Amino acid sequence: MTTLVPVTYKGGIYRHDEIMDLIDDLGGYIVQKHVMAQDVVLQSFVPRDDIELIRRVAKPLAGEVIEAPLVGTEIAVVSPSLEIHHLPHIACDIAEYLRRSGAKTNMIGLARGFGKRIANLNDEERDIINEHDLAVYVLGSFEECIKQKFPAIRREIYTPIVLIGAPDREALMRVIDPPVEGYVGSVGRIMHRLKRPEELGKLDELVDEVSRVLDARRDALAKDPLSIFPPRLMTIIEDQIHEVSMLTHPTPVTVQMEGLRVKLPYDPYAPLIRSLEVVDGVTIGDIADVTPSRMRNYILIRIKPFSETRILV
Amino acid sequence: MPPLNHFVIESPDAVGREAYERITGDVLQDLDLIKVIDRLHIYVDPVMPIFIAVGLLRHMPRAIRVSDFANVNPGEKMVVLDIGDETYLAPLLQKLWTIYGKENVDQPDRFTVVLPAGVIEGEELEGLVVADPSETLYKDVIYALQYIAPEGFKVRRQYIRDGKFYYVASEDTLPTDIVETMVVPLFEKMGVEL
Repeated sequence: MTTLVPVTYKGGIYRHDEIMDLIDDLGGYIVQKHVMAQDVVLQSFVPRDDIELIRRVAKPLAGEVIEAPLVGTEIAVVSPSLEIHHLPHIACDIAEYLRRSGAKTNMIGLARGFGKRIANLNDEERDIINEHDLAVYVLGSFEECIKQKFPAIRREIYTPIVLIGAPDREALMRVIDPPVEGYVGSVGRIMHRLKRPEELGKLDELVDEVSRVLDARRDALAKDPLSIFPPRLMTIIEDQIHEVSMLTHPTPVTVQMEGLRVKLPYDPYAPLIRSLEVVDGVTIGDIADVTPSRMRNYILIRIKPFSETRILV
Repeated sequence: MPPLNHFVIESPDAVGREAYERITGDVLQDLDLIKVIDRLHIYVDPVMPIFIAVGLLRHMPRAIRVSDFANVNPGEKMVVLDIGDETYLAPLLQKLWTIYGKENVDQPDRFTVVLPAGVIEGEELEGLVVADPSETLYKDVIYALQYIAPEGFKVRRQYIRDGKFYYVASEDTLPTDIVETMVVPLFEKMGVEL
């Protein structure tokens, strides 16, 4: 079986359809296409052995293929609030940097996440964060505050967490109990755009930390693989439900590590999605849970593992 | 680092102290207040929890009058205002409309305002106060301090008078004697009496 690796293709809009066809022909998947003026960015999964071929084809088009460890993941960037104290710089810069590495990021500003004693998390925020593959918590400057408030804003979050704060990494590891999956220290409330080399270095460190946490999750998944590869399910839904092509969202079907978020209303479309045939006689309902998402009225599809369905598509 | 005559941040948390020094510098720079603030002393303690900022303003800008940005040319039938700087044109028009009525204020082009003669004396018009930048300056300084202070510190007390200001904020109820016990000593550290 060929291994699919996440890559980003960056190039001009001219003849980019040839690259898209090539990825398709090679058995790869394009999970997101982003057109910005004259440029095109394709977040895709391609067979490892064919990366060189894509590079060769892309060379005359001045396109480049970069390994992007976060393609096919949906990450929540959680900020204590949407006030000017925490936005825009640090949270948006982090979200943008993760996006450049291929992730689909959603910013979540908590309604009452600020303060040491008064911080809390409501059920809607909790459920939305839990719908993501990973949550990056962007906290502030004081060790004491992080120590006191973090248990409140992580309550019942089962998604892996990467914590960012101004105290150094060791201090964060010391005060957080039980430990979270990843830590990036020495980045707190920052009131300017992150552009100094040491700040960009911290963002790189964050991407490494996030990739490390997600790789660990991928390894765990490999032991009991999903019944279907999420990007493949995405193409099936896109091919068979034509309404998806009429949505104006940047990612009408968002690929996650263990499922998909389909940005269609749940009530009219869920039965249709459940009954879609994946291969002969196997429907989506057989291999996945189609549930309502807490994000607007979208549909969240959680793919069941092989051990549960005994089906591998 | 802003070129203030006195700029000190105190905190029991060394990492937080450094972070707040950067935050304060960035905010003052963003809001263009470095030229306005002469001294600033901040104490922030997350354990208590308390945030106190005390400081001095450099000089208060004076009120803006019509003669500062326009030439008043009284004629026989009308008074013509020749606007030099448009910055305060909008508040000027607002003022003129309320005083003389919209029908009496004519603006044939961007830089000219015409009033009928007789409704107003030339000198009276020249001395008309159009805007007081110190009013918004107070708001700007307090806004900057709200912006610098940790967000959860919602209980606050603020003061700005005679070029001196303080801003105290906490997550919990503030002690009634906070000004005497904590604010006055900080002013003393800057060599100023509140």
